[in-house]
Amino acid sequence: MKPSGHMHPISRIIRDINTAFSELGFVFADGPEMESVQYNFDLLNFPKDHPARDMQDTFHVEKNGPDGELMVMRTHTSPVQVRYMQRLVKEGSEFPIRVIVPGKVFRNEATDATHEAQFYQLEGLMVDKGISVGHLKGTLEHFFARLFKGSVEVRLRPSFFPFVEPGLEVDMRLIGSDAPEKLRGRWIEIMGAGMVHPNVLRNAGIDPGVYQGFAFGMGIDRLAVMRYGVDDVRLFYNGDLRVVSQF
Amino acid sequence: MKVSYTELNTKYFDGKLPSPEVLADALTFHAWEIEDVEKVGNDTVLDVKVLPDKSAWALSHRGIAKDISAVLAIPLAQDPLAETPLLEPMTNDVVASVDTPTCTRYTAALIRGVKVGPSPTWLVEFLASMGQRSINNVVDVTNYVMFGIGQPIHAYDASKISKDEQGRWHMRVRAAEPGEHITSLTGEEYELTPGDALIVDGISHTPIGIAGIKGGKVAEVDGSTVDIVLESANFDPVQVRKTSQRIKLRTDASARFENGISRSMAPYGVFQGAKFIAQFCSGEVVGYIDTNPHPVVRSSVAVPLAKVNSVLGLSLIMGDVEAIVKRFGYTYEIVGDALIVTPPHERPDLVIPEDVIEEIGRIHGYEHVASVPIEPIPLREVNARFYYAEAVRDALIAEGFSEVFTSSFRNVDDVKLKNALASDKGYLRSEKGMIENMREVLSKNAPMADLFGAEQVRVFEIGTFFGSEGERLMLTLGVSSKQGFVAKKDQKVLDAALSAVASLLGALSWSGDDGIRATDIGAVIAALPRPASYTAHELSGDTAYTPFSQYPYLTRDVAFWTPLGTESREAEEVVRASAGASVARIDMFDRFEKEERISYGFRIVFQSHEKTLDGAEADAFMQSVYDALRARGWDVR
Repeated sequence: MKPSGHMHPISRIIRDINTAFSELGFVFADGPEMESVQYNFDLLNFPKDHPARDMQDTFHVEKNGPDGELMVMRTHTSPVQVRYMQRLVKEGSEFPIRVIVPGKVFRNEATDATHEAQFYQLEGLMVDKGISVGHLKGTLEHFFARLFKGSVEVRLRPSFFPFVEPGLEVDMRLIGSDAPEKLRGRWIEIMGAGMVHPNVLRNAGIDPGVYQGFAFGMGIDRLAVMRYGVDDVRLFYNGDLRVVSQF
Repeated sequence: MKVSYTELNTKYFDGKLPSPEVLADALTFHAWEIEDVEKVGNDTVLDVKVLPDKSAWALSHRGIAKDISAVLAIPLAQDPLAETPLLEPMTNDVVASVDTPTCTRYTAALIRGVKVGPSPTWLVEFLASMGQRSINNVVDVTNYVMFGIGQPIHAYDASKISKDEQGRWHMRVRAAEPGEHITSLTGEEYELTPGDALIVDGISHTPIGIAGIKGGKVAEVDGSTVDIVLESANFDPVQVRKTSQRIKLRTDASARFENGISRSMAPYGVFQGAKFIAQFCSGEVVGYIDTNPHPVVRSSVAVPLAKVNSVLGLSLIMGDVEAIVKRFGYTYEIVGDALIVTPPHERPDLVIPEDVIEEIGRIHGYEHVASVPIEPIPLREVNARFYYAEAVRDALIAEGFSEVFTSSFRNVDDVKLKNALASDKGYLRSEKGMIENMREVLSKNAPMADLFGAEQVRVFEIGTFFGSEGERLMLTLGVSSKQGFVAKKDQKVLDAALSAVASLLGALSWSGDDGIRATDIGAVIAALPRPASYTAHELSGDTAYTPFSQYPYLTRDVAFWTPLGTESREAEEVVRASAGASVARIDMFDRFEKEERISYGFRIVFQSHEKTLDGAEADAFMQSVYDALRARGWDVR
């Protein structure tokens, strides 16, 4: 008798994410975990030597890249936005651009039950003519309703991230009797989002006078904590089968 | 930034503000997050998370009041920026020479005959709300101005600065010389480099301040101070930030300058500071200097109404937009279908139409944005790495392997980080590092194998490693017996898993030893045909995670005879029902039929969430199992 193994809870959520987004035509894109400063910051409209770079504590790599560029451990999967858009532009692909980027990211922060120096992030991007905050809201409602299998409300608040303007903070809450009791009716701060900054579109070779889009980014670990009730995010990365074997 | 509700309400709104809670809520949905609302003495302090793009002007009570005025549509009762201050009379007694491009404006006032003493009570209380201790009336006023309008200012004791033959003070701003030292107001010593800027005594060349960051001890205002040079300057944000980071000194002043305060703010700072020092410290303002009196001219921004609506997903009419812009008090005109906004001098953050659209969106309120359903479109491409990684996952899980994620950081390896989080996390894992990670996972889990009901530990990881050639996607697999070695039967399990992977990806070359195998699947996948579509999956169900016990476990085996026809589930249920609450798991390890009977063997794992179980306790649990089995007439073997 061969006992079945177990999938890591983060992999399980990434599989769900891909299922929920691919049915809308969002492409799963990936990119390097070690990134150039240019892609991690410059092309995403983080001004050089600006306090906005302090929003993300960054691991710097000692050795430069093949072209002498400064390298960091990516602090978000947003650089893949630019890489993907550049690729489509180069290939002469048609709009719309719909892409998701689940992947590992790194922050040089003290670790505790809710913080790890490595974690998984989901980036999403949609670019076309006339894309608005309304499309962002519609996309997120679809995703949360699929993932949490029920009725979801999404609420937006002003925020700031260099690669979007306007920048938004997204709260969600699960409603209806089938929502898990500990989450039901409670607003949860879930992600950052916004309308792609014209400089980022320009850096990717897209005319911001014609096209606009939304982007969002959220922690997958946080989704796992919400869905499964894992009480310490560090448990996802220590290879302890007492955790994984529960999934 | 900490904001005093009392200061906002009395100084800016003549008492017309709603309660702190209502205010906090309005700001959260229309401006920025309020991280905390706290009572301090008779005041309520709001901890406002001013966003980086608004920090040039909003790290101040006036900036926040101005935004509240737009959010709540309550006009400001008083606005310290309403009128451009006239820095008159000019004085020739102070001479400023700016010898570095990183100082874009230097204004100062000469104030004589001050009486240094305690501050008025309201000022002491205000500073307490800011989390600051009162020092003396002169220093307190400089802090009050900074917290009030966001412009840092600094008071020097003029008697401690040299005078030339004509009795003039020379305030010089220049790059630091290599290795130059300064002792700060609070006594710390800093060594500077030519990338840093200093304020120096122009006659003696002694440094008296680190530009934009902190004043020096040399010209400190103290109880004997009578004459003051009050400085209000503008410094390059990048230079201030670099110096502040290098010397590890972040101050209220540097935090403001590094956000790029408008050069136009300098005269407001010196004017207000001088006015308050005259008022609260009995000084007499002799006159002012200003090295760059040219006004800041902001370019106007044209914002088409159609663009406002298409970005925000709203259907505003020009009248709606105009009403919002009026609340901010921007200078504007309407030309055709576009709104032309000229930003106020203190707002360097309104440059492109989207900047203005954000202001309109947040004041109007994002709750008015209706969600637009997304029409599905065909998937443009399938990610081959993800597709094949998923297939490998499914295949290995079917082989009884569980997936782990291990740390990307290692103690020592090939690729080094400049700034490690901890000394044992200074490198990124290489191929060898990932294999070592797997070895650690095996040795950590092997002694717990009974907890997972497995014959051996079987794990795999799909992850990135970092080598001299760059990063690659690796698959590692590991098998270990409970005792920590790899026996023949464990090797068979590993071989079966390797062939399961090979049947998906083709022939592979594996590295590794001792029950561990690794291969660069990224390279393999790149050569495989691109899949046309993903394997369909239902979304996974919700699993409730249970925290595991931190205490050791004990195992006991039991074997017994049952009549033919007894299902294994029934047999297990009898064991489970009698074994007590400390059962972590029960696994059948044996079943055979002989002479019209069935023999079942079960392994029971006991583990408590409260304590370490001892053998006698496990024996007692087993006794009740034996009793239950015998009560069923089942012979314990």
